Amino acid sequence: MNKLLPIILGLVASFLLHFKAQAQTPWDEVMMDRGEVCVALMYEHSSWDRYWEGDLIRGNANIGTFTRRMAMPMIAVGLTKKVNMIASLPYVGTKASGGTQVGQNGIQDLSVSAKIDWVQKRINGGRLLFLTNAHFNRPVGNYLSDYMPFSIGFGAPEIGLRGIGGYKMDNGLVFRASFAYLWRGQTEIERDYYYQNGSVYSRFMNVPNALNFHGAIGYWAFDNRLRMEATFMSLNCLSGDDIRAYNRPQPTNKMEVSQVGAWVQYYIKSDRGLGALAYFNQTVSGRNMGRGSTIGLGLTYQFNAY
Amino acid sequence: MKNINIYLLVSLLVVASSCIEETPRYYEFESYQFERMDEDGGTWKTFLVTDPSQISITTPSDVNSSEYQAELTQVKNQMSGLNTGQRAVIRYWTNNPVLRWNEIALELAAKYNLIPGPNPDDTYTLPNPANPEGPPAFPFAHPPYTSRMLAYLSAAQFDALVVSWYYKFEYDRKSPYKVDDSIVPAYTTNEIPSYPSDGASIAQVSKEILTAMFPLEADYLEQKFQEHIVSLIQAGLNVPSDINAGLTIGTEVANLAKQRASSDGMSRAQTPKPVSDSIANAAFERFGWKWQNMETPQRPVGLTPLFGKVSMWNVPNVEEVRVGPPPAPGSVEFEKDAQELQRFANNLTTNQRRIANWWEDGVGSYTPPGHWNKFAKETIVKNKLNPLRSARVLAYMNTAIMDAGVACWDTKYYYHYPRPVETIPGFKTILGTPNFPAYTSGHSTFSASAAEVLSYFFPDDATKFKNWAMEAAMSRVYGGIHYRFDAEVGIKQGENVGKYAVNRAKSDGGN
Repeated sequence: MNKLLPIILGLVASFLLHFKAQAQTPWDEVMMDRGEVCVALMYEHSSWDRYWEGDLIRGNANIGTFTRRMAMPMIAVGLTKKVNMIASLPYVGTKASGGTQVGQNGIQDLSVSAKIDWVQKRINGGRLLFLTNAHFNRPVGNYLSDYMPFSIGFGAPEIGLRGIGGYKMDNGLVFRASFAYLWRGQTEIERDYYYQNGSVYSRFMNVPNALNFHGAIGYWAFDNRLRMEATFMSLNCLSGDDIRAYNRPQPTNKMEVSQVGAWVQYYIKSDRGLGALAYFNQTVSGRNMGRGSTIGLGLTYQFNAY
Repeated sequence: MKNINIYLLVSLLVVASSCIEETPRYYEFESYQFERMDEDGGTWKTFLVTDPSQISITTPSDVNSSEYQAELTQVKNQMSGLNTGQRAVIRYWTNNPVLRWNEIALELAAKYNLIPGPNPDDTYTLPNPANPEGPPAFPFAHPPYTSRMLAYLSAAQFDALVVSWYYKFEYDRKSPYKVDDSIVPAYTTNEIPSYPSDGASIAQVSKEILTAMFPLEADYLEQKFQEHIVSLIQAGLNVPSDINAGLTIGTEVANLAKQRASSDGMSRAQTPKPVSDSIANAAFERFGWKWQNMETPQRPVGLTPLFGKVSMWNVPNVEEVRVGPPPAPGSVEFEKDAQELQRFANNLTTNQRRIANWWEDGVGSYTPPGHWNKFAKETIVKNKLNPLRSARVLAYMNTAIMDAGVACWDTKYYYHYPRPVETIPGFKTILGTPNFPAYTSGHSTFSASAAEVLSYFFPDDATKFKNWAMEAAMSRVYGGIHYRFDAEVGIKQGENVGKYAVNRAKSDGGN
């Protein structure tokens, strides 16, 4: 984050004109016009040295500090003014500073989502917004999900339906909450017996469904070219088992996590062309998860394709 | 467009939910016609019992007696008006409950196969049978523990059935459904006499052995036991006096098993640190190397250094099956196999990775002995063995597997050979490195001994079993935790140990 600050300040200092800003995520209220295309490249670095075994927070010297790095190309397309598509495909690598086990690297899950703008209604000095986002994720490549904590993903398809509500005031303030139900399928593993509160004779593990909440208070400054947000995210699996004592996690675990964070995005000269973004998240509570902190950096480039 | 989106989402959900695979909790099979009755089963050689007549049961009442007729009425009453839940329980137990109790044993092995973690002050506390609640809970059902648990369970089940068969054909009292046509049994019928109840003897002996091995599970096992006993009546297999006689046999055989277990040397297998250090130093003086635990904080003692001294079942003396020394670290032979490990680590194929994981059977699982019990169970059903013959296969296989473990552990701590993560600088693995020396590989010895026994009982599948054992052995090399020589010599050692069990089986009267 410290390294990032001069860059952001530099970008802020170079602002010129006013524009409608873009570059979106599946959980925000941002939409692009028909024919607009935004490509992005994101880099994310997260690490933890303590994790929750069930609800017990603990360290493990045979993991030491766990590091996860991700590079993710992303594309958003304005099919119409009301319907945008977003796709992304991350490459993820994991490693541990302690112990003798090797990390995992590879292409993780392809994600495709469709965002629809349903309601834009003017109410005293602002606009009330309601959008939905439906997404489908599926693993590509053959990474092994049953190699936790090193696995780069949970290895199962996911279908999510998200409702996004927001209120964007004319003075640039934005309040947003989004709520998603995530339906997860099964992950194929490389053994045909495992323990999940008893024996299971199967090559498949059921990955628990989950609820996901995103909340943000944001401010769009410099004529919509600088976007700053304070964020909160939580994810709660609706079923699943706990990591057993000093045992490794597995994709059937009931994972829960909540994070606070910040998001800054800047468009160098207009709603076209180059932009940059940066974010930071800190895990504040969890279950069967690492207590991680994450920084992410991204470059975006937007153009009109048709 | 909006409608298309919703349509797409709904169809995705429908497609996705239609391809959900089953995640069964036990092996599903129907009761089946036994391939034979084994009228002479009562004459077969046993493991714990000297002679069936040392266990006495009362002479049963005649099927025409009023006493028996009263029991029959009781059975009919219990069989009428069964609810769905009761029917499901009957279907679960099947007419070969030996396999269900074996499955319960595997489940408990997986439940208790958790290695104790370090305390906040970096010390380790070991599970203590005198204080089973812990923490850590007793037992840590690691592979040697599980191999021994299964050996006692299967040997006791087999002996209980030999004794049951002995009296069944001595008294020759028919099953309730043979006496009274109005009784329709839940399972495929057979001509095997029902006094004493083989099911009850299995239930009793299994409950007692497993409770001794997993003391915290006493309530769970009692509940399974009650459920099983009730199902014997509700399925129309037995009258209460059949069951009582079966329970007597189960108790007596379990006592013999527990007696043997109390003095087989297992209680001394996990040594204090000074003993463990002297074992390591003896190896260092003899060979110039010694194994060390590489975890942080370092575990002061390896896993069960004196498991190699535990009483064997089929091998007279462990030194008969001790193998020759491994190549010295740094030797040409060693370097060849160490370089192979680095090649695998750098270019592991998808299939090699799959093999490494398929056979991992690591912490939290039913261990390699458990894996072979699963194969045995499926093969027993495929070949339609009766409970006595099923128990015989499991008894010879599990005593061979435990013997292989004893032989392997004797070799491991005699040579005290370091693991690849110790000898190859910076080496990282996809499998966790276990807390005991490398040579010979436990997976290889367990698997080869099991394959040897199963190949004897099921010759049609011999090639398959031997290939599996080879694959299990190589899985540890792909996983980076064993050198090829650990695996190859381990296979030979396991085969050798397995032959002792096979030779015993050849003359037990069961052929």
